[in-house]
Amino acid sequence: MGQNSPARDVVAPPDEARLTRPDGQPPQRAAEMMVPVPMAELFTIAAQQERAGKLEEADRLLNHILAVAPNQPDTLHMSGIVAFRLGRQEEALAKMEQAIAHGVDIALYLRNICEVYRTLNRLDDAVAAARRAAELAPSDPLCLHNLAVIHYERAEIDESIACAERALMMNPDLAGAHFARAEGLLIKGDLERGWEEYEWRFRIADATRMMPPTDKPQWDGKAFADGTLLLVADQGFGDVIQFCRYIPWVRERCPDVAIACSAEMVPVLRQFLPKDKIFLRWETRPPFKAFCPLSGLPRLHGTRVDNVPVQTPYLRADPARVAIWADRLRRLAPSSHRRIGIVWAGRPTHNNDRRRSAKLSDFAPLAALPGVALVSLQKGPSMDQAGRYFGRAPLINIGAEVRDYDDTMALLECLDLVVTVDTSVGHLAAAMGKPVWILLATSPDWRWLLNREDSPWYPTVRLFRQTVPRQWSDVFKNVATLLADPATVLRATEGSGFRNHTGSR
Amino acid sequence: MNPAAMPPPESSRHLMPLVERAIVAHRQGAIETAERLCLDVLELAPDRPGALTVLYQIRKDQGNHTAAEALIRRIVALDPNNFAATNEFALMLLDKGAIQEAEIHARNAVRIAPQNPQAHNLMGMILTEAQRPQIGEYHYRKVLELSGARDPILLANLAWNLKNQGRMEEGRALYQESVAAAPDIRQTLLGWARLEEADRKFDAAAEILDRMDRQWPNDPGVLLSRAVLLGRVKRYDEALAVLDELAKQASDGQLGPNELAEKGRLLDQMGRYDDAFLAFAEGKRLARELSGHQYLDAAADNLIGRLGNFFTAGRLHTLPRATIRSDVAQPIFVLGFPRSGTTLMEQTLSAHPRIVAGDELPLINDITGLMPRMLNSPLGYPEALAELWMGDQREGLDNLRDYYLQKVGQMSILTQEAAWFTDKMPLNETHLGLIALLFPEAPLIHVIRHPLDIMVSALSNHFTHGFFCASALETAAGHYVRVMDLVQKYRSEMALRYLPVRYEDMVTDQEATVRSVLEFIGEPFDPRCLQFHENQRYARTASYAQVTERLYDRSRFRYRHYRKHLEPVIPILRSHIERLDYTVE
Repeated sequence: MGQNSPARDVVAPPDEARLTRPDGQPPQRAAEMMVPVPMAELFTIAAQQERAGKLEEADRLLNHILAVAPNQPDTLHMSGIVAFRLGRQEEALAKMEQAIAHGVDIALYLRNICEVYRTLNRLDDAVAAARRAAELAPSDPLCLHNLAVIHYERAEIDESIACAERALMMNPDLAGAHFARAEGLLIKGDLERGWEEYEWRFRIADATRMMPPTDKPQWDGKAFADGTLLLVADQGFGDVIQFCRYIPWVRERCPDVAIACSAEMVPVLRQFLPKDKIFLRWETRPPFKAFCPLSGLPRLHGTRVDNVPVQTPYLRADPARVAIWADRLRRLAPSSHRRIGIVWAGRPTHNNDRRRSAKLSDFAPLAALPGVALVSLQKGPSMDQAGRYFGRAPLINIGAEVRDYDDTMALLECLDLVVTVDTSVGHLAAAMGKPVWILLATSPDWRWLLNREDSPWYPTVRLFRQTVPRQWSDVFKNVATLLADPATVLRATEGSGFRNHTGSR
Repeated sequence: MNPAAMPPPESSRHLMPLVERAIVAHRQGAIETAERLCLDVLELAPDRPGALTVLYQIRKDQGNHTAAEALIRRIVALDPNNFAATNEFALMLLDKGAIQEAEIHARNAVRIAPQNPQAHNLMGMILTEAQRPQIGEYHYRKVLELSGARDPILLANLAWNLKNQGRMEEGRALYQESVAAAPDIRQTLLGWARLEEADRKFDAAAEILDRMDRQWPNDPGVLLSRAVLLGRVKRYDEALAVLDELAKQASDGQLGPNELAEKGRLLDQMGRYDDAFLAFAEGKRLARELSGHQYLDAAADNLIGRLGNFFTAGRLHTLPRATIRSDVAQPIFVLGFPRSGTTLMEQTLSAHPRIVAGDELPLINDITGLMPRMLNSPLGYPEALAELWMGDQREGLDNLRDYYLQKVGQMSILTQEAAWFTDKMPLNETHLGLIALLFPEAPLIHVIRHPLDIMVSALSNHFTHGFFCASALETAAGHYVRVMDLVQKYRSEMALRYLPVRYEDMVTDQEATVRSVLEFIGEPFDPRCLQFHENQRYARTASYAQVTERLYDRSRFRYRHYRKHLEPVIPILRSHIERLDYTVE
């Protein structure tokens, strides 16, 4: 799970107390109303529609109000929120700025405009708005939480932690602020304190529930042999791949381990547990004595930067599948070329996807290198960018044929190097001990720490960091320069790096 | 017309005397009487072959091609064994450019009369035009065998066929033999002159044209050939003067579509771009008017939409692929919009000792037509590929692949050393999905060029590929967008052995580009590929003159000279121009 978003509230509609219909039921649709409706009532309806996710209808109603009262601040603000949720960021910003210009100082507007600025990568404006909000509402911990998030995005980690701690002084139970503090501590390498705060992740208001409610306790790390410990493969695929390394450590303490996971993760988890201990549906899980999220294991293990359990490779490809994919790649990619696996985008619904994902066109410096074939492992909606690629290096869109992580692992076995943004494929290649270059945002996910090119989690990973937020050009130029340098190839070969092309192929 | 719905022929036997009178009247030149009698008969009995035949002759002589075609079509439908009508119909379709349909009837003529030389002559002519000259040659030689004589016109036909195969010496010898036997056949001499011109024997071509000039002064065909020849030796002013002379010969004082296109090309070479555009545009207008060809918008939309819907990653996971044949040379598909540089790419590659040129092979298109029958499917292409899910059609793709390879084998293009042959049929990229199923290992070299440069070429040539999209500039642009969108879809849904190559890179960075293409194919670099203009092979497509010259920078971004004239298509193409990293200047 990535960073949490700044808190965003919807403003209470003006004169809400007076807005009830004679029958006591609020109108559901404007079309139901056969008589002119007071603007305040329309606003209420629009707010209801927004909350219900009926954004087009809310948009229509708000625009109707704005046609009559174009400078009404609450309506402008609400209309900005709706435009933002509809993906019309520039319009959202214009409306919110107008709301702020026409309204008195309202912290809520400033808090919300922060998120718009952040989305548009206007981090200076975002931090200024967040600070102003905090000044206007000095006792509102949400404003400080917002500021913590913006500071993290600006890679101002100490400031981020300080803001989160100030928010927690006002409200010690503010889960978002705990999580912001956790991320700050973890990325700084203070893992021990970070893990403790990280436990608050499940208490964030809009956090996805890991599992249905249970009366069984969360495992405390102590050994037991008289029951099943149910692990839950929570969070993203990358997290599962990263934390499944702890399963052997768990089994030393609790011999009977089962795991609940999504079907996609079976090829990974099957390498640690027998198939009959892997459960894809909650209803079919075995009785268990205690449970534990996979992402909670580093805390129980007491993982620090200097004692990360690293026994790579801890994932291996199925040799039969490797043979199939090696043959397929032999048919598609020139044998004289180095095969560079690439992934340019993560899951679009991920909180940080805007920051972590690039575009295929950003790989242009690599595509200009002679003797390189780009093997796309991209899946999902961004795969369509492969159709718009016209670079010099051949691009093999093998992702289109990949069905599961077994296929991906087999393919990784056939590549010389993987260059990827922060996605599960990077974790997979790294867990297999393959050379992998991971390209990171200025303020990456906590696990990649700060200011280092290597990772204590994965010895074959090399990290490339943005120096300017959301600007990939320098990163890709660096990658291409290194790839073009024969010395780089030699260094990698000495380790677990590039294959020798003069041999078996 | 449904013959089954017709009354039986016996029911109109009483009309026979009228038909006989019509035949006599026609023979005696009483056309109006003959026409009236035929119409009377056909009013009562629309299936009387005699009346249909006479009326067909009348309409044909009147120049009413639409009516004539409808009549001959009805005659053939009523009596599929009528050889004379089948022959006539096939020739009519050939003249019209409806090659595919002509071939159907030519094949039928051979079925009706397998020992008839004319049936084979028909096949020879049609298959030569259908870019299968090797098969055409077989039928011409069959005519020689069946007739037991060396008819001069037949020899000239065979010579033209050989010229299209690039077998210039053999073709020249046959022209010489033909002309020795019949020195005054205009079409023979014109064909010979064109062979010499294509073979860069410009003096020999000029000599033939001089001879024709003496015999047929101011003949339009001779004048056009003269203009082309003068253009090739860069005597543009003289070439233009010849075309002006040609215009004076015409009854309306106007040049035809081909002559206007040639005039435009000459003006373009002279840097008179506005005048060139006027000539091109007028040529297009006239071509549309005379041929009746319009872009088949609905048909293109339908097919391309269905292809995009069919070839999805999910479905492709479930479809088999043809196996790889290791016993025969394998295809390299050179893809691209017509006039995007595919000929240059083919000439370059075929200068390599292990690659031979296959030219524009119509076979993928043929397979799309044959597929429902070969897979025993009630569905059309591409939906017929659903049969591959049936237990008895799992090898269906192997059969289709073998059909392709067998036809290539018949074309005599393969040599002992050849590991590869090229197929540069323009717009084969429309069938990229099918190609990747049939030949999963085949390199797909897609020649990319500035879309506006392609439009300039589309303007200056009358190609028929792509549902006649080049009949107007806007439809050419529209079809380009459709096809490129489809290619994008294929590429995002499939893992293809696909390499885009920019025409502009071929011009400005030739060696690096050629090296990268050969590496992609898996062949070592050969310096002969850089000297493609010395490749003696004759490219039979419209680009043949260009590919015999060294690469020249002038061919890049020609559109700038036509910028204002291309204004209407820039909005259509803009997103693709940007996507390909080009700009509009």
